[in-house]
Amino acid sequence: MVRYILKRLGLALITLWILSVIVFFAGQVLPGDPGRSVLGPLAAASSVKALDHQLGVDQPVITQYWHWLTHFPGTSLQFQAPIGPILTGDLGRSLKLAVFAFIIVVPLGIVMGVVAALNANKPVDRLISVLGLSGTTVPEFVSGIILLLIFSIALKLLPVTATAPSGAGFFTSLKYLILPVIPLVLVLFGYIMRMARAGTIEALDSDYARTATLKGLPRALMIRRHVLRNSLLPTLTVVATQTGYLIGGLVVVETLFNYQGIGKLVVTAATNKDFPMLEAGVLTIGVVYMAVTLLADIAFSLLNPRIRLAAAE
Amino acid sequence: MIRRNRDLDRLREGRTELENHYIDELVSGQVSRRDFLRRGSMIGMSTPLLGAILAACGGSSGGGGSSSTGSGGSTTPKAGGTLRVAISQPAAAVNPLTVSDAGGLCMLNQTGEFLIFDSNEKLALQPMLATSWKHNGDGTIWTFKLRTGVTFHNGASMTADDVVWTFQQLADPKNASNALSTFTGVLIPAGVKKVDASTVEFHLEAANGNFPYLVSSDNYNAIIVPKGTDYGKWQSNFVGTGAFKLSSYTQGVGAAFVKNPNYWGTKALLDGTSFKFYTSQSPQILALQGGDVDVVGQFVPFGATSLLKNSSYKIIALKSSNHRELSMRNDMAPFNDPRVRQAVGWALDRKGMVSALLAGYGTVANDYPFGPRFPSTDTSVPARSQNIAKAKQLLAAAGHSSGISTTMKTEIYEEVPQLAQAIAADCAKAGINIKVDTEQQSAYYGKATYGNSDWLDGTMSLVDYGDRGVPNVFLEAPLTSKGPWNAAHFHNSTYDGLVKQYVAALDLSSQRQIAGKIENLLLQETPIVYPYWLDGLTASTPSVGGLNPTSIAQLYLNAAYKS
Repeated sequence: MVRYILKRLGLALITLWILSVIVFFAGQVLPGDPGRSVLGPLAAASSVKALDHQLGVDQPVITQYWHWLTHFPGTSLQFQAPIGPILTGDLGRSLKLAVFAFIIVVPLGIVMGVVAALNANKPVDRLISVLGLSGTTVPEFVSGIILLLIFSIALKLLPVTATAPSGAGFFTSLKYLILPVIPLVLVLFGYIMRMARAGTIEALDSDYARTATLKGLPRALMIRRHVLRNSLLPTLTVVATQTGYLIGGLVVVETLFNYQGIGKLVVTAATNKDFPMLEAGVLTIGVVYMAVTLLADIAFSLLNPRIRLAAAE
Repeated sequence: MIRRNRDLDRLREGRTELENHYIDELVSGQVSRRDFLRRGSMIGMSTPLLGAILAACGGSSGGGGSSSTGSGGSTTPKAGGTLRVAISQPAAAVNPLTVSDAGGLCMLNQTGEFLIFDSNEKLALQPMLATSWKHNGDGTIWTFKLRTGVTFHNGASMTADDVVWTFQQLADPKNASNALSTFTGVLIPAGVKKVDASTVEFHLEAANGNFPYLVSSDNYNAIIVPKGTDYGKWQSNFVGTGAFKLSSYTQGVGAAFVKNPNYWGTKALLDGTSFKFYTSQSPQILALQGGDVDVVGQFVPFGATSLLKNSSYKIIALKSSNHRELSMRNDMAPFNDPRVRQAVGWALDRKGMVSALLAGYGTVANDYPFGPRFPSTDTSVPARSQNIAKAKQLLAAAGHSSGISTTMKTEIYEEVPQLAQAIAADCAKAGINIKVDTEQQSAYYGKATYGNSDWLDGTMSLVDYGDRGVPNVFLEAPLTSKGPWNAAHFHNSTYDGLVKQYVAALDLSSQRQIAGKIENLLLQETPIVYPYWLDGLTASTPSVGGLNPTSIAQLYLNAAYKS
């Protein structure tokens, strides 16, 4: 098990390095230049040149890459400030939103999926499936705007932004996150519910479930001990793969609710050719993603005795 | 009548020739009261003096005074409290040398002050850190008297050394200074000279009648900072001389300011202000409607109809020189024939554009960069309004009776993509078929040099220009032979000569006379079509008063209050 984890970590490091190379070199084809994006389109060409020189972006790409690698995480070209504090602040906010969304959507999705499976093809199942899939197809900016108009503008029940005032307590900041979390829950609920439903139906249909029923196990106990444990495995994988989206892909929700998260940070860095910032953001999302998938794989093996990790080597 | 003239005569005594010339212009009705205030203040006549002259000529002084007018309404000023403001997120570090965007420059003016304040609302240049200014007779040397007893937020007192240092940094080509686009050809670091502790001289590269504007709040980079300031670290302390000082600044999130108890002028009414940064406009409007902020610092009509149509919010609209330019390649077919370019000008329904795209918050433009914001505009030149028959006739005369086809490059910015579509629709009626190619700004501007930029290289190119206090930049950069942003590739030596004369002209009547010549020349040549001038808009809840915005997105909160 330890060997397996070490091996995965080694692979992760290599993956991250390749990712950094791709982002840096492929990103060179992006239009614009950092000096120009700081000084604006109307600045004198000589000022832009002077700033580009100060920032070192007039040097060969290889030199720039080496400089970046040896000064990680470095200084943002655009904000002329160290990346560390900016990134940790934004990552913290993104994680808060993502964890809140997960805490709501994972149990809800699984319970509803199982309920739907147990009532397969009955009206309850139809209702859950149709509602879940409809939620998934509504884009976040549509559901977000509707929620804002109803709960913030018309009823004035919830704040219009996701950013709590500085110094706000835990519960106050949760209140600020309620509205932004709902569009995310809507998007993810459909996936998780469908996976849980399909897994449960398959498990219910399996030989071991039939054996358990035939040997006289009460239905509730049979479901808890034999069905759920097996049906949740694919769901776990789906949940893990959604972290990338939840950490780095929330640009729309972050913009709509004015929440400075890592998604917005990466988009801004890419549009302004702020490479150190872009690299730091992408790699952070990469690290979170890999950590979560590793955890999911470990959990998978613990739930499923058939795949003991040591044997997989 | 006789008595009034005697008053005026007394005021005239001791005035310079140029000042008396302005008074003559006012008495003979050649300039309006508004223009007189604006021009008089520019050459250094004090506000009380200008007021006295106006009074002697009849009527009240108008303008002047030091209290903020801000938005109207029935609220009464009240001290205390914190005002919450939504503004665009600063696009880069808040560095006085490099700031170039609305969010960043609004941050600069929260703690920083200028030598002169150009108020859109008060009709005149007003003393800020300079108390008076005058030139040497031909506009080549300008002398500024500085206010005494002003201290920076770090406790040091402000002297001529700080002012000299500030302008030397801004004008130094070795620095990545955004103000170089204003100072190139006007001012070099060696031209800034200390005379004594409270007097500074600017020795210009060429005569400039509008120089006070270039050191005023119009040149938003030019806040006075202590000598030796590390501009790269300014963001950590925001040291200036203003009525508020920095409490906290969080990258990408917001900033908070507190009242400066040692301010040289009237102290702020508010205890503090809190700014929230936004990357797009609609969340700012939602935040105002949802009660999350009290003020939206600057917004555009496009996408703001819910606010503009709701009478329960206060809207402040300022005439600005913010506009759009549609340039046509004068050196390439089909636009190398001026008649084809004129046809585009006649095809546009500008009134319709102002009402549809700007909700009426704008002014129709004619095809030259003189507009309602500039007193030197010659308003006697007839405006172009839509005339499809005339456009078709011009095209036919140019040998294109069966119409032409071309492409237009433009940027995703505010209402610009919709304007591009409106232009294409109007032009199609006259037989000019335009394929619109809309790009992200970074792709559109490219490297912003000839040969590396769709903005400067496109056959047709539609771009935005922000507000300026004087038309100099609009006249030079996009239109003169050596202009760096000449997307029209317009080369006309008569025009270049007229612009040089205009910039050097010191009195309004000669400026206006040259402006008239420029306007007629540009209408004839039509290198660029100017659809409209946009208003600068600020919105607040009804309980807010005393706001003092400028049309370049600055927001002065010295006199602001929340009742």
